[in-house]
Amino acid sequence: MIWHEPPLLVAATAWCSTMLEREIHVVNRLGLHARASAKLVQLLARFTSNATLVGSGREVNAKSIMGVLLLAAGQGSSVILRVDGHDEAEALAAAESLFARRFDEES
Amino acid sequence: MRRALQGVGASKGLALGRARVRHPHVLTLSEETIARDAVEGEVARLEAAMEAARAELAGLREKLQGALAQEIGEFLDLHVLILDDPDLREGLRNLIQTGLYSADYALKLQRDRLASVFQAMDNDYFRTRLDDLDHVIGRVHAALHRRDDDGQLGLAGEILVADDIAPAELAELSRQKLLAVVTRAGSPLSHSAIIARGLHLPLVVGASDALSYVNDGDALLVDGREGLLIVEPNAEDLSRYHVLRAKIEKKRAQLDRLKRAPTRTRDGVDIGLYANAERREEIAEALAYGADGIGLYRTEFLFMARTEVPDEEEQFRGYRDAVLGMAGKPVTLRTLDLGADKADNSGLVLRNEPNPALGLRGVRLSLSRPTLLDAQLRAMLRASAFGPVRILVPMVTAREEVEAVRARVHSLAQRLRSESVPIGERVAFGIMVEVPAAALTLADYTDLIDFAAVGTNDLVQYLLAADRTHEALDGLYSERHPAVLRLLSSLFGTARSAGLPIHVCGELAANAEDAPLLLALGLRDFSVHPGAMLEVRESIRSCDLGKLKRRTASLLRCRERSEVERWMQRAREL
Repeated sequence: MIWHEPPLLVAATAWCSTMLEREIHVVNRLGLHARASAKLVQLLARFTSNATLVGSGREVNAKSIMGVLLLAAGQGSSVILRVDGHDEAEALAAAESLFARRFDEES
Repeated sequence: MRRALQGVGASKGLALGRARVRHPHVLTLSEETIARDAVEGEVARLEAAMEAARAELAGLREKLQGALAQEIGEFLDLHVLILDDPDLREGLRNLIQTGLYSADYALKLQRDRLASVFQAMDNDYFRTRLDDLDHVIGRVHAALHRRDDDGQLGLAGEILVADDIAPAELAELSRQKLLAVVTRAGSPLSHSAIIARGLHLPLVVGASDALSYVNDGDALLVDGREGLLIVEPNAEDLSRYHVLRAKIEKKRAQLDRLKRAPTRTRDGVDIGLYANAERREEIAEALAYGADGIGLYRTEFLFMARTEVPDEEEQFRGYRDAVLGMAGKPVTLRTLDLGADKADNSGLVLRNEPNPALGLRGVRLSLSRPTLLDAQLRAMLRASAFGPVRILVPMVTAREEVEAVRARVHSLAQRLRSESVPIGERVAFGIMVEVPAAALTLADYTDLIDFAAVGTNDLVQYLLAADRTHEALDGLYSERHPAVLRLLSSLFGTARSAGLPIHVCGELAANAEDAPLLLALGLRDFSVHPGAMLEVRESIRSCDLGKLKRRTASLLRCRERSEVERWMQRAREL
């Protein structure tokens, strides 16, 4: 977390045992650019679970657009998505599918 | 009290109206703390400002229409998402509650923390997302300082005085019937200036003292041609304004009659008059004013004011609209002419080039991004199925560049044909002559190209090694420098003997006063923005080409600009 002092959400995920975690490869051409990041953030906002993304040594709130953009995840990079909460399974599945569909923007 | 201020005219026109001052929202303030019992109020103030910013964005979103609606819409959606960012909001609240900072200072701290991370990024695209954050922070900051009567009055009948203005803002302001814009910063070459001219919205830039001397509600007189503004004009100013205004009206009526007149010299020689146009309204205007075609369609306009590169399909539709809009007249589509000197949001361009004018720009950038170039060329070829298209390559310095692009055009055309995608029978291919190297060796290119277009703005800048916008060099940059005239004359001569069509699409062609000069130098095709077409036509119609040609030799003998001015004086009396 870059702009939180102390990093509230990161601390929250660390001790939770039921948290789900998945490594995701960024395959779409432009990576997690603005439009794709927006779609991810909007999708995760529909769930109550907390979500974090880890990439290039940085951990950010996946529900924060600036956080996701800060990862600067380009094509070919990979990120770890951690979801924790009541609807974590659904949230993870929905997010994974969004990545796999290349954010619905390449035909 | 009356005060006259001088700026630089960027879009002509006269306006008399009430001043609306927009102070810049610079976040350079020093540490500002609040009392502990003021925390709740400060948080509420910030949240109200964020809510107001959100409402503004929603309002803008609703009013969007036209060709760029989707792109600008996505841009605005991103900004709403930033406003709603839970971490950003939490961070700001924290700074106020635990740091006891003012809302303003909290915004600055939060912005600076994020900025340091973004600025350290290697990837240009992601690094420039900081611009989006700055937009949002600026909007919230403005909302924090808004007074109750702001915004409710609307802008009709007002003149905006601001630090700077973004191209995307101008169209909206013009729709709201704003009369004119005055900015402290800016240049007559900026994209905002080009758009203001297209909208016929008077614009004065570089009015460095305007923000210090103009107050909200002052009466303001703006002369966009002279770059002059008068605060609280006196009786004499006003009567001069009314006389000038009547003159302009009369002139406009006169020019209106020229809409259907041929662009023909007094001695009966037809001259080509093309338009530089991209937006739908400009293209309609060009056709209405009898343009012989579009001499310059700047494709980078499709790339501006947005966060992503438009794909082939979207470009195709944009180009096709232009081709259809010109009803069978040729449309010259220039491949991307972006460089570090032209800021955009697409993330395509390197920022911080040490020497942007001499860097990766124009065809150099295109050749370094083959996928991007292919998408552009395919879109252009596909548009050629709907009417005559000419492909124009900017910033050419060497034959190899032209060969490379030409080879791409051929291979893509073949592929499109084999895919049974309709394309035109023949697509003309040409280059911009704007680097002196290309100007000096134009004859070497004739086997590769069907036409050439002279970009005088860059050509003059490179020839004279003088930046047109550099204030301290004022006067050195001049299209009337003898070196420029001799180079142009040799260019036109080379083109003529090779049977190569050549036109000038730089600002020089749009300056009606310079038409006799260009005709004497041998130019026969002009390409100017639609707003200048009628004046240029009028100027050409008053010329006697035969007499001008007899004076070419004396023009080329001029050794100083003052001699050129004297030549022009005599030419006017012909």
